[in-house]
Amino acid sequence: MNLHEYQAKKILKKYGIPMPEFGVAESVEEAKKIAHDLHLKQAVLKIQVHAGGRGKAGGVKFAKTPDEIPTIAKALIGMKMVNQQTGPEGVIAKRVLISKPVDIAKEYYIGALIDREKAVPVLIASPEGGMEIEEVAHKSPEKILKIPFGFDGKLRSYQILRIVKFMGWTGAEAKVGAEIVKGLAKAFIETDASLLEINPLVKTPEGEILALDAKLSVDDNALYRQPEIMAMYDPTQISPQEGAAKEFDLAYIAMHGNIGCMVNGAGLAMATMDIIQLFGGAPANFLDVGGSATKEKVAEGFRIILSDPKVKAILVNIFGGIMNCATIAEGVLHAAKELHVKVPIVVRLEGTNVDEGRRIFKESHLKIGSAENLKTAAELVVKASKGM
Amino acid sequence: MAILVNKKTKVIVQGISGKAGSFHAEACMEYGTKMVGGVTPGKGGQQILGLPVYDTVWEAKKAVHPDASLIFVPAPFAADAILEAEDAGIALIICITEGIPVRDMLEVKRVMSQSKTSRLIGPNCPGIITPGECKIGIMPGYIHKRGKVGIVSRSGTLTYEAVWQTSQLGLGQSTCVGIGGDPLNGTNFIDVLKLFQEDPETEAILLIGEIGGNAEEEAAEWIKKHCTKPVAVFIAGVTAPPGKRMGHAGAIISGGQGTAEGKYEAFRKVGATITESPAEMGHAVKKAMK
Repeated sequence: MNLHEYQAKKILKKYGIPMPEFGVAESVEEAKKIAHDLHLKQAVLKIQVHAGGRGKAGGVKFAKTPDEIPTIAKALIGMKMVNQQTGPEGVIAKRVLISKPVDIAKEYYIGALIDREKAVPVLIASPEGGMEIEEVAHKSPEKILKIPFGFDGKLRSYQILRIVKFMGWTGAEAKVGAEIVKGLAKAFIETDASLLEINPLVKTPEGEILALDAKLSVDDNALYRQPEIMAMYDPTQISPQEGAAKEFDLAYIAMHGNIGCMVNGAGLAMATMDIIQLFGGAPANFLDVGGSATKEKVAEGFRIILSDPKVKAILVNIFGGIMNCATIAEGVLHAAKELHVKVPIVVRLEGTNVDEGRRIFKESHLKIGSAENLKTAAELVVKASKGM
Repeated sequence: MAILVNKKTKVIVQGISGKAGSFHAEACMEYGTKMVGGVTPGKGGQQILGLPVYDTVWEAKKAVHPDASLIFVPAPFAADAILEAEDAGIALIICITEGIPVRDMLEVKRVMSQSKTSRLIGPNCPGIITPGECKIGIMPGYIHKRGKVGIVSRSGTLTYEAVWQTSQLGLGQSTCVGIGGDPLNGTNFIDVLKLFQEDPETEAILLIGEIGGNAEEEAAEWIKKHCTKPVAVFIAGVTAPPGKRMGHAGAIISGGQGTAEGKYEAFRKVGATITESPAEMGHAVKKAMK
């Protein structure tokens, strides 16, 4: 689960990470109140969306006078941001973060993630901040330091010293820097994070070190033991289809094509999209109904696919293992009848209870194309999507 | 021959009293797997499916001497279940459970990498099967046919697809291992490739990968150096958009790393037979064997 910048900052604050004072506004009135409460003469306003590239998209503005703060807030709240990360639908900013501007003498990067190959948490530090860390890694890999740390979120004293020296921090700076690095590692472990980044971390001309931006993604599998983070879930940042799928515990991802896909198993669901493309079609979505889907869950999956107006044909590809083919058949029929499906459906069933599943479709009198194997299924549905 | 499991393998089920645990324990027994008991804390002394149930793996180990344990314990408790099986010295631990937090798996990985007694397969996997002898997992038994191809995969249903194709073509399988779709897992591609390389019954290998991480790239490197058998490869996720988690916790392209194209390229370089169509996995192995 992704968090907003302001949510990540609230969490990091608890771990002693210094940052400019800020408030979050959902309305112009709230923006005025924040400006007043924080005695802001000038301010930086940033839209709160689950996507990067806000600055380039016009979602970060500078208010030069107190009067400009509510005016800019008005323009930013409700702004729709569209870039490569958001896709053509874009995301809407419901909130804006308002903070005291700071002068920047230098920008740094610190972050933490799990190294999959070594199976350890790793802290990443770079004296080159303010741009994507991948870009730094590409251009000047010698400017990146990776330090594995304990599963308890603790860095050893020598590790901290190494980071501090690498960043070029001395004197009072070094002390603050060490605390920031420690706080970040601890926060990473205690929040069950999969990614935690402060980028940029900045030094002001006065020598203060402050977190200007923060990014936190939390392991979905650990949300059950992170109730505070779970409560920060923002359904406005995903498509209505993805939101509905989440409620029913279905894995759904919107794509740009016109062939709706319903598949069991993540690998087969990806492979189904791949073969559709291979045969000249374009998938409208990724949908894994999972191994233990009920008739109702299957029906809901179908409803979600059909709620996407781009969908011109649907491919149901099921290889029953835990999943029983008859359950899928009943769910699809239930949804198809209720929703008066107009688009052609192609069904490919194999595996557990396949004969019963095929019988149910055959006796349904619905116009459903059935395919014996994956190749035929892909060919049929691509043709159908082109009105052939 | 085959690898890891055969008709002599004695199996217990951790979480046997749950719905999935009892359902699949029964299906495995019907297939012919030598199931010898189950474990559910608090249910020790009971019988399920005619099998003795124990409170702990340690007690089960002492009483029925299992070689393998099949885990269906719910995600919040699954890491402990794996560690318990390792502690009791079970040689092969197969964890089907999906959704174990990564932080829990860090500790499991550390323990398993130092274990002198045990190997973990999964989590979030369909299990392992040596057709006609032993099925420890949730795969439909009837699609398998004993034969020449060793299959190793990160996905469940996509493996069934591959199994079905190789069965239809008459090639059959020696052993099929699902290593699981999580970012941190016990047994990796290379571990299984080594076993297939040494197994005389395995004449060819079908490797099914997907986006995310670099386990496939490492496997390709290993193949170049050590593998003398024909290898066919399919990678799922050519169409997957970057930054999105495609169902599996481990299936994500991040920072331009872990793409299907990159993985295909790695296998192309080492001379593996690749197919970009999931409908042609069987044919790809056949082609590789010529």
